Amino acid sequence: MDTLLLARLQFATTASVHFLFVAVTLGLVTLLVGMQTAWVVTGNHRWERLTRFWGQLYVINYVLGIATGVVMEFQFGLNWSGLSRYVGNVFGAPLAIETLVAFFLESTFLGMWIFGWHRLRRGAHLALLYGVAITAYASAFWIMVANSWLQNPVGYEVRDGVAHLTDFAALLTNPALWMALGHVVSAALLTGGLLMAAISAWHLNRRTPDLALFRSSLRIGLVTAALAITLVQGFGFAQFGPVGGVQPTKFGGDSPQAEVLIADWTSRFGPGDYLPPALSNVGLGFMILIGFALGLLWLLVPLLWRDWIIRLRFPLWLLMLALPLPFVALILGWIAREVGRHPWVAYGLLPVDQAVSPISPWLMAASLVGFTLLLGTLAVTNWMLLARYAARGAADPALGRPPAQPPADDPRPEPAFA
Amino acid sequence: MELAWYALLGLFFAGYLVLGGYDYGVGLLLARGADAPRRRAALNAVGPFFLGNEVWLVAAAGILFGAFPVLEGELLAGSYPAVAAALAGVILVTAGVQLRSRPDSARARAAWDRVIVVGSLLAALGWGVVLAGLLQGVPLRADGHVAGVTHLFTPFAAATGLAVLALVVAHGATFLTLQLPTVEGDRLRPLARRLLLTAIVAVGAATVAGLLSDRVRAAAQRPAVGVLLAVLLVTALLAARAALGRRRPGLAFAATATALALPVLLIGATLWPYALVSTVEPSASLTVTDAAASGPTLRLLGWLTVPLLPALLGFQAMCLWIFRGRADGRAPVYW
Repeated sequence: MDTLLLARLQFATTASVHFLFVAVTLGLVTLLVGMQTAWVVTGNHRWERLTRFWGQLYVINYVLGIATGVVMEFQFGLNWSGLSRYVGNVFGAPLAIETLVAFFLESTFLGMWIFGWHRLRRGAHLALLYGVAITAYASAFWIMVANSWLQNPVGYEVRDGVAHLTDFAALLTNPALWMALGHVVSAALLTGGLLMAAISAWHLNRRTPDLALFRSSLRIGLVTAALAITLVQGFGFAQFGPVGGVQPTKFGGDSPQAEVLIADWTSRFGPGDYLPPALSNVGLGFMILIGFALGLLWLLVPLLWRDWIIRLRFPLWLLMLALPLPFVALILGWIAREVGRHPWVAYGLLPVDQAVSPISPWLMAASLVGFTLLLGTLAVTNWMLLARYAARGAADPALGRPPAQPPADDPRPEPAFA
Repeated sequence: MELAWYALLGLFFAGYLVLGGYDYGVGLLLARGADAPRRRAALNAVGPFFLGNEVWLVAAAGILFGAFPVLEGELLAGSYPAVAAALAGVILVTAGVQLRSRPDSARARAAWDRVIVVGSLLAALGWGVVLAGLLQGVPLRADGHVAGVTHLFTPFAAATGLAVLALVVAHGATFLTLQLPTVEGDRLRPLARRLLLTAIVAVGAATVAGLLSDRVRAAAQRPAVGVLLAVLLVTALLAARAALGRRRPGLAFAATATALALPVLLIGATLWPYALVSTVEPSASLTVTDAAASGPTLRLLGWLTVPLLPALLGFQAMCLWIFRGRADGRAPVYW
């Protein structure tokens, strides 16, 4: 067994599971901000119910986002100690900023938001959700700054074999950063919007109670998803230029720049295979196909007129069937970006075999199996709970339930205490 | 500047031990067989603070990576099994607490409660062993990497793991006497006092194991400070026990919180100027300055994060203030 391969597999698994959850987090929180703002501004009870129902799903989904995020953060030190040793001076900075100014605040605000219903004034409670959303976007930004630095290391100089930070602004103007950030954020909006549309479609198709409520969220979800897919496509194609410029080997090594680069690497790091596996670009092709397919969401938008989308029924089925697509595309997109920088941790600067921790393959294998099973089981359980809560409808979500009212989901009433 | 960042790292990890500590303590106390409403009430006493408590660990890890990258890599990879166990525990507690009330069936909730117990156990033992590993030194070779992980398995590490576990349970019980409605809090008082006694014995045992360990004695640069702080820790626990006896749960909680924070200070002060002491190659030992990121990185982090520190701590304080007071029937129930 090979420690390096196991460590790469573990990174790929954790990161993939992480993205499935954080994309939904980022997408849903944006829509929740809109819903709760509408509630506070209009005072309309319907918006409160929408906020509670979708907020409940958001909060359940958030759990696995944290759990996998914590593993991601510690994984750098556990499995990739060479990364901290050689480039920690530069790469560590955006990650440290992310944990302090984004993750830390986001969780603090969310805890207060969950328990703040009926306790805080409406404006203060809404402000907390704005805090959660802003820090969630800040988190995405700093993580993308860190990731883009691995794709295209800038703003550093190597002294005594260790990278030192020389120009932080270069990290923020990294050509690998902005289009990718736009792409990822709009993909998250697409995922959140389509999730909302698909769950609403399920309720409308089954004619469950609260048709009016789910009609609203269907419209919000569909319009968001349609706008987002256009942004996803735009930012996606806009990336090819800058990424091809800074990572000539990413999409295969047949360009003249790639050949020059590989010759340079061979002279500096010795001969080796400097091309990423073909697999990553196969996935990229599929992702682009999914992107075009989801572009057809625009065809459903005119059907919102006079509720044809609901009356015709089959568009509801289309939305439900389309739900897995953004998740598959998210994973494929990340594989293309991350596997595409192979064999480098930091492109052209630190090869993966120098970055991996010098630990025994057995220990690494145990860690891979253990954490994959743990996170996999939790992810599946989490989705089952999400599905059950989505199906249960908006009658009385536990989130935001008035304290005096005995919880309806408890087998027996729970008076004040004991 | 390195010292300031080292202190900040210590502050956030100590904050995690204090705040996460009572989460895990409350989690472990779910194992004592209370009925379902009591278990739920205990978790909701942690309620609004839970998410804000766990992230102190995330922040500490962020500072460790950003400001002390070399220490981060060698400490985590060199204590792999302990860190992995602690991490698994943290995840189980995070998922368990937030999801346990989502299923309706009593059986599913009881199963989630067991997940929380196991997670709390792993987290307390795991971080205890990591702290012991720092104090007894690691086989850091001249090439800068830690050799193997068997160095963790010592009587001192086991004793420290158990001591942290005992501290966490006693801290959690003290938290509940402070936070639950008065009647329930009073019922827990005898248990909390017994647990504090256990913690005193466990901390004493870990101290003796440390004094007997050659590696700890070799690694300690200031053994006297270490012993003094251990004595202070025991004093804090005695004070907590006395305060509980006089029905002063707030004072008792302050004392157990001090006891949870002291191990971090103890390690930092005892090893200073070193951050990671090598047991095999004295020249390979990392001082705090060696372990720190280079000047430009620390300056950048300082400019970007230090002005925000008051906001970070301020919002946490705001959470404490909004949800102050015992968890009564008017408090929202969500976990």
